[in-house]
Amino acid sequence: MNRFASVAFRNVFRNGKRSFTLGINYAIVSFILVLLFSFSRGAASTISSSLARATAGHITVSGRFASEGKVFGGLKRKDDIARIARETLGEDAKVIARYQLQSTVYYKGLSKRLAFLGIDATADAGLRGQLAFSEGGWEDWAADPNGLALPADLAEYFGLSLGDEVVVSTRTRFGAFNTGLLKLRGIWKTDNFFLRGQALVAFPFLRDLDLASPDAASTVFVYFPEAKDLAARRDRLSEALASAGFEVSKPKTDSEAIAAVSSASAKYEADEEGRDRIMLKLATLDEVLGLVRNVLAAVNAVGGLVAAVMLFVIAVSVFINLRMSVNERLREIGTMRALGFQAGGVTALFVAESVALALVFSGGGALLGAAAAGAVRGLLRFPPGGNLGIFLEGGRLALLPKPLDMAAIVLAVSLFAALFSYFPARRGGRIRPVEALTRTF
Amino acid sequence: MNARAISKSPALALVLALAAGVLSAAAQGAAGPAPSPLRNEPRAAALVTAFEAKLNLEGLDLSNTFTLVQKKEGESDRVLRIRIYRRDSADSFTLIFQFPDSEKGKGYWRSKDDLYLYLPGTREFVYRNRKDDVGSTDVRTDLFGSSRLLDQYWASYSGQAAVAKWDCDVVRLDAKKLDVSFPLQKWYLRRTDGLPVKVENFSASGTLLRTTYYVDYQKLGADKYIFTKLLAVNDLEKGQRTFITNEGISTERIADYVFSKAFLEEQSR
Repeated sequence: MNRFASVAFRNVFRNGKRSFTLGINYAIVSFILVLLFSFSRGAASTISSSLARATAGHITVSGRFASEGKVFGGLKRKDDIARIARETLGEDAKVIARYQLQSTVYYKGLSKRLAFLGIDATADAGLRGQLAFSEGGWEDWAADPNGLALPADLAEYFGLSLGDEVVVSTRTRFGAFNTGLLKLRGIWKTDNFFLRGQALVAFPFLRDLDLASPDAASTVFVYFPEAKDLAARRDRLSEALASAGFEVSKPKTDSEAIAAVSSASAKYEADEEGRDRIMLKLATLDEVLGLVRNVLAAVNAVGGLVAAVMLFVIAVSVFINLRMSVNERLREIGTMRALGFQAGGVTALFVAESVALALVFSGGGALLGAAAAGAVRGLLRFPPGGNLGIFLEGGRLALLPKPLDMAAIVLAVSLFAALFSYFPARRGGRIRPVEALTRTF
Repeated sequence: MNARAISKSPALALVLALAAGVLSAAAQGAAGPAPSPLRNEPRAAALVTAFEAKLNLEGLDLSNTFTLVQKKEGESDRVLRIRIYRRDSADSFTLIFQFPDSEKGKGYWRSKDDLYLYLPGTREFVYRNRKDDVGSTDVRTDLFGSSRLLDQYWASYSGQAAVAKWDCDVVRLDAKKLDVSFPLQKWYLRRTDGLPVKVENFSASGTLLRTTYYVDYQKLGADKYIFTKLLAVNDLEKGQRTFITNEGISTERIADYVFSKAFLEEQSR
C-alpha cells in the first residue's frame, strides 16, 4: 500500500507543467476559502467580544411597562430585577443597569443629535479600560454628576474643550421637552465599534432628563465569569422574575434580540389592555449575535459559491487532464495489466495521483492562506473610524485561521479531485492489456 | 417669492427689529419654573378663553396661503409655501405643500386629535403627533388649527409686561400632564384686544426653547382674527428663526371632501 502511494506521489510530477497548472487552481481555491473562514471566525469573535464589552450583557433584560393607559419603553423596578438576578444566578453574576436616550446637544450655534449612555461609574467600570482619554479622565468625569465624556470626533465637531458647558435637550418619554446642562469632563477614543459615537453621562442625569422615575432603566445587563449555559441561566432568571410579578418573554427572532440590546427610551403608545404591568424581554448574547452569525453565514455561502464555480472549472480540467494522461500512458497501463494489475488497481492509481496532487497544492494553498491571514493581522493597522471598524480588534483586522477549518478545506478539495478523476481513471483501468500495448496515442 | 427677496423685505426687517426690541423689553412676569398651581386662576382662565374665542374660527371656513422662511446662521434661507384649508367647527384642517418642488404634494390632514402626514413619494399616510414640526421648521402644526389650552394646562396670572409698543397681560400655563411638548408656557396678551403678541415655550426644567411673536392680525368678521405675520425663534439654536406671512385669506365655504385623505392624494397627482 505504501509502495502504491509512493508511486502515486512520484507520478504527480511526471508531467510537471500540467500538474502545476492544475495544482495552482487547487491552491487558489484553498487559499480563498481559508481567508474567508478566517474572516468569518474573526468577525464573530470580535463582534461578540465588543458587543459584550459595550452594549450587551451575557443576558440582557430590556422591556416595556404599562402605566395609566400608556405603554412606555424601558424598565421599572430595576433594583428588584438586579436583586432577583443576583439571588437566582449567584453572587458571581455581575448586574449593571444602563439608561439610553437620544438627545440633541447645543453649543455656540451648533447642534447635533447624539446617543447618550447613562452609566453608574462605580458598578459599570468595565467600560473604563476600553476608553483612552486624551483629555480629562474617568475619575474627573465620574466625580461630576453633570459630567460629560465625549468621543474625540464629537468634541472636535463642537469645538469643545474641557470644562465647557453644553445644553442638552430631549423630548422625554411622556412627550414634554426637557433640558439640562452638562460640563465636558473627558475626551476619549476607543477601538470598540459599539462604543463609537456614544456620549457618556451619569445614569441619574439621563434618567432625570427623561423625567423617568427613580426605579427606571433602559436595560439591565447580567455578566458571568464565563459565557456558558446562557440559555439555561436565562430560563432560571425568567422563572424567578415571573414569580416576582413581571411578565417575562424571550426574543422570538434575531431582530427582536438585537432590538432588545439597542432599546432606547421611546415615545409612549396607548395601552390596549388597560392594566399596569412590566413586560421584560430576556435575550442571551448568543441570540443577540444570531443575526450577526446569519450575516456571516451568508458571507461564507457567497464565498462557497465562488469556490464551487472555481471547482467546477477545475473539474473540467481534471477530466480533460486525466483523459490525456491515460492516453499518453497506454503502454504503461498495458504493462501493468500484463504484470497482473487488475482494472481496479489501475483506476485506483490514477485516482490516487489526482488526490495526491490535490492534497499537496490545496495543503500548500491553505498554509499560504493562514500565513496571509497572520500577515494581514500582524502588519496592517486600520483606522477605528473606518468602514472596517466593526471587524477590528485593537485596530487590526481579526482574521482567525483554525486548523480544523483548514483540514476540512483540504479534505473537501481532495474528495472533489477523487470524484472527478474517478470516471476517466476507470476508463483507463478498463482497457485490456493487448489493446493498451498495441494502441498508439 | 424667493428667499433673497424675502430676506430683503421691509416686513421682515420690521419683524426683526420688533424681535430685538422684545428681547430687550423688561418682562414683569415671573421668570423660571415654579410648582404647578393645580388649578386655574379665574382671571388668567378668562384671558385665555377670551383670546381663544377670537382665534378659534368656529362657524367659518378658512383657506389661505402661508409662506415660511426659515433662517439659520451660516445657511441660505429655506422657503416653504403651504396652502391650508381650515374648519374649526369640525376641528379639522388640510395643509398642502406647494413650494419647494421637493416638498410639493406633501401634506397634513388633521381630524380632531388625529394628524396624518401624506408622503406622495410612497403614497402613504403616516400617523403623527399633532405637535409635529412643519417641514422641519420651528413652526408646529397645532399653530394652524383651533386650540383648547385649558384642557391641557393650568392658567395663572403672572403680571404685566411691555412687548414692543403694547402693554400686555402675562398668563402662565403649567401642563396638567407631561404629555404636552412644552410643560410651561407664557402668553403675552395685549391689553387693548386680548390677542397674543408673544408666546414663550419652556422645557420641563424651565429653559426657554422657543419664542413666537404674533406680529400682525387680520379681522375676519364678528370679533374673529387670524394672524398675518408671525416670527418663531428657536432659543436653543442661536440665529435660527422662521418668519411666516399669511396671504390669500378667504372665508368662503370649503367643500367637505377637502377635509379628507382622498383630497390630499388627489392634490399630489
